[in-house]
Amino acid sequence: MSGQGQRLNVVPTVTVLGVVKARLIGATKGHQLLKKKSDALTVQFRQILKRIVQAKETMGDSLKASSFSLTEAKYTAGDSIKYVVLENVGSATVKVRAKQDNVAGVKLPKFEYFTEAGETKNDLTGLARGGQQIQLCRSSFIKAVEVLVELASLQTSFLTLDEAIKTTNRRVNALENVVKPKLENTISYIKGELDELEREEFFRLKKIQGFKRREVEKQMLLNKKHAEVAALKQTASLNGGRGQSDNNLLQLEADADEDIIF
Amino acid sequence: MYGFEALTFNIHGGYLEAIVRGHRGGLLTAVDYNNLCQCETLDDIKMHLSATEYGPYLQNEPSPLRTTTIVEKCTQKLVDEYKHMLTQATEPLSTFLEYITYGHMIDNIVLIVTGTLHERDVHELLEKCHPLGMFESIATLAVAQNMRELYRLVLVDTPLAPYFSECITSEDLDEMNIEIMRNTLYKAYLEDFYKFCKKLGGATSEIMCDLLSFEADRRAVNISINSIGTELTRDDRRKLFSNFGLLYPYGHEELALCEDFDQVRGVMEKYPTYNLIFAKLSYGESQMLDKAFYEEEVKRLCLAFEQQFHYAVFFAYVRLREQEIRNLMWISECVAQNQKSRIHDGIVYIF
Repeated sequence: MSGQGQRLNVVPTVTVLGVVKARLIGATKGHQLLKKKSDALTVQFRQILKRIVQAKETMGDSLKASSFSLTEAKYTAGDSIKYVVLENVGSATVKVRAKQDNVAGVKLPKFEYFTEAGETKNDLTGLARGGQQIQLCRSSFIKAVEVLVELASLQTSFLTLDEAIKTTNRRVNALENVVKPKLENTISYIKGELDELEREEFFRLKKIQGFKRREVEKQMLLNKKHAEVAALKQTASLNGGRGQSDNNLLQLEADADEDIIF
Repeated sequence: MYGFEALTFNIHGGYLEAIVRGHRGGLLTAVDYNNLCQCETLDDIKMHLSATEYGPYLQNEPSPLRTTTIVEKCTQKLVDEYKHMLTQATEPLSTFLEYITYGHMIDNIVLIVTGTLHERDVHELLEKCHPLGMFESIATLAVAQNMRELYRLVLVDTPLAPYFSECITSEDLDEMNIEIMRNTLYKAYLEDFYKFCKKLGGATSEIMCDLLSFEADRRAVNISINSIGTELTRDDRRKLFSNFGLLYPYGHEELALCEDFDQVRGVMEKYPTYNLIFAKLSYGESQMLDKAFYEEEVKRLCLAFEQQFHYAVFFAYVRLREQEIRNLMWISECVAQNQKSRIHDGIVYIF
């Protein structure tokens, strides 16, 4: 793909080859690990998604029920009961605490609610009318709040997990499609270059060998000739014949010429 | 003087009785309720109501209508009618009409006192008060920090002052005391109203005492049921019951001892009038008790219109209107929340 044909800008040497090979091994290992992480996250993600759907359905039901129980309370206790209850409230009784959960190295925020004891002073509200409905309304809204807190927790986990999965997948893909091909290309490039160098070297060596052999042969030939000339000269001087010596010289020259031509 | 009020009633009360009977004709009927139950949206309800007496009040409401707006406007209509009658009334009818609103007045005082304890803005609180229970010095309630001050600075000038004599003993105002205070006040109010009606005599006394007794008994039953499982002691519970009514005094003693709903039921079944109400409920079910009581109340209130020359019609009219507003609220909420299957659970047909 995008990494195809690309390679690292390195000097093609054996050492670098070793380094790059080590990097490729590292990248493959990393790719495997990240792939596993991504899979684990996806499994978790699917589970959360399922739970979110369930929570949303219950939320719809419980909110519907609780708002209708508010209507019932208003019906029996009068419209102004809303304000009476509101004015009676000092601080929140249901509070939310944030925790962290760890899934495959991803920190997921988790909310859990807890009730602060000793804050429920609405016991006697609507004593003369609709007290029971108010209590029912209260409990059904508490249930709704519980579902909402759970849903909030799931939703934040969902978002964080989504982000984490995206980055992990990006890394997996980057490793698979960019880094690894690049390293492989580099390795093949270096190997190619090294082979080339080797061939060149071999050829050079062969050439030099041939040259040397010829050189040696030539030297040997020359030596032979010199030896012959020397031998001739020796015989001529031994015979003392000029003409012969001239003849010999001519022949020698012709030989030398021949040699020059050759 | 029973029987003779017919001779003189119309001198002062005739005009207003005519008016109130006219208003009675404006109450929604079963046909109206059936139409309202067919509505799909709040705008449909508005359209149906525009053909009734509520029309002018809802006319200028912009379209995204809410239940609270409907309830508010309908209450506004009741308040306007009430104010009109109050300005036209002479003694003792004017006092009688004022008595009707004292219940709301108590609620408003309690609301403001609670709000002030939690340092809310007084003007914000005033908006939440019921318009029928407003009085001039209500905004100054915020200054009071304990019961004594509350009484000395503000309440001494209001008609509620005598009712405070009973609960003046509790020094500090916390949530528990306030709720008890509300009920003690209400008890004193009912007793005072009862006495006042007795004093008026004639058909007024006869009908009103019956209605108030029912109200007192209903409160006693509700307080018993609602205080089950709370910190309220038996003696405190007993103290909150009004000292009249069908249940007084033996029924009250028994109610004060009740520990669960079925015991309350056992006590109430001894009284033939209430036996009928409780017979409608299955065992262990207290949900529909309120509606059963509302139905019984409406039946009694409607009967008040059967006689002439008495003041109970005014009381009955205001109460019926309130019930009608409750019905409308129930219908609108059911329509708004898409709970049409429950729509008939809350409607008390008035005529």
